[in-house]
Amino acid sequence: MAAVSFRKSAASLLLCRGRLPGAGSLCSYHKKVVDHYENPRNVGSLDKNSRNVGTGLVGAPACGDVMKLQIQVDEHGKIVDAKFKTFGCGSAIASSSLATEWVKGKSVDEALKIKNTDIAKELCLPPVKLHCSMLAEDAIKAALSDYRIKQRDEKK
Amino acid sequence: MLSLNRLRIALSARAALHPNRPVCAPKAGSRPAHSLPNRDAWHRKVTAKAPGEERGLTWCTGPGLRTFCTSRVQQGCWNCWNCNLPLGQTPAFFCRSCKVVQPPEEGASYFHIMDCDYTFTLDTQKLQTRYLQLQRSLHPDNFSQKSEKEQEYSESQSALVNKAYKTLRKPLSRGLYMLELEGMGIEEGTDSGADAEFLMELMEINEALDEAQTLEEANKIAQDTKGKLADLTEQTDAALRKGELQTAKALLAQMKYQANIEEKVKEKLSQLM
Repeated sequence: MAAVSFRKSAASLLLCRGRLPGAGSLCSYHKKVVDHYENPRNVGSLDKNSRNVGTGLVGAPACGDVMKLQIQVDEHGKIVDAKFKTFGCGSAIASSSLATEWVKGKSVDEALKIKNTDIAKELCLPPVKLHCSMLAEDAIKAALSDYRIKQRDEKK
Repeated sequence: MLSLNRLRIALSARAALHPNRPVCAPKAGSRPAHSLPNRDAWHRKVTAKAPGEERGLTWCTGPGLRTFCTSRVQQGCWNCWNCNLPLGQTPAFFCRSCKVVQPPEEGASYFHIMDCDYTFTLDTQKLQTRYLQLQRSLHPDNFSQKSEKEQEYSESQSALVNKAYKTLRKPLSRGLYMLELEGMGIEEGTDSGADAEFLMELMEINEALDEAQTLEEANKIAQDTKGKLADLTEQTDAALRKGELQTAKALLAQMKYQANIEEKVKEKLSQLM
């Protein structure tokens, strides 16, 4: 079990390595997962009350992982920033880290097209870890939907 | 679907009727995949004895025992692979006649193996006693001078007992196992049932734990989590007693999240100490 926060990343993560669920050691993780795990991109939070920020919060009951993914959208509908916080296994952290990298620079509609299979393929996730990439896809969708609801409510 | 509650009552009634007989686990139909009768068992049953001779079914047909004679239990009425005499009880770890270790009974539930009542609030003291007692006799170390077959059976029996004990020991794994027996395991994937508030709370606890700098702060989270888990255990028990499986499932999912936090607290505490 591992946790990522913007204050501590690598140092606290290294201690957790051996106890990653679903793997005896980190050796069974693909190097891309390890890379995201040790140097997670875009860890942190955005102001969830801001009208330009969409927040997605999802959990996986089977493994007990929780993931928060936030996007900041500019006036042209382009995602200019993305942040995440994931409390879960290495694959969940890597999936959400990659997801934030991918959504940045995309329009809301383009970001909706990101599929979990693309994330899983990029990270070479084994079948038992596919649900981690699903969690990331659902987090993106939840964040986009939160953003859209905020925009719609504002127009009213 | 037979409610858990009714099942529990039925099983405990049977247990009361036959205190020395292990109570058989849940009904057929919703058994987990691993519980299908194995070929080996079938083979033994068929080749056991010629028709007309007793086939280890005697105890099944005795007065008052008729209720036990489901196909499941009949599968359990095996004969010893070594001396061919009926084993006479289920689960049979050893033959009563020749004292030789038997292969695991496929399909026996962990409750059955550990001789525990099929209930969420099982007697963990009794479970542990049974575990130690079984491992004392089944541990592979006791079989190093025995035949290859006996070594193999002791290994698989010992591993099965370990798994059964581990599963039943903690309320979370026990509850999840009970749901699985009812054909209601928690699916992988995103939690559509969890409300945003609950997830937010989890996020906040995780963050607070991550940022905790002192033993005191970490201990506070440990205590809170412990309390929540105890609460959830109680609620799960109530739901299972009422046969409210969906509620139990939702509660067990919450327990899973809290158990993860508990694990992280332990790590944190060991770092801080």
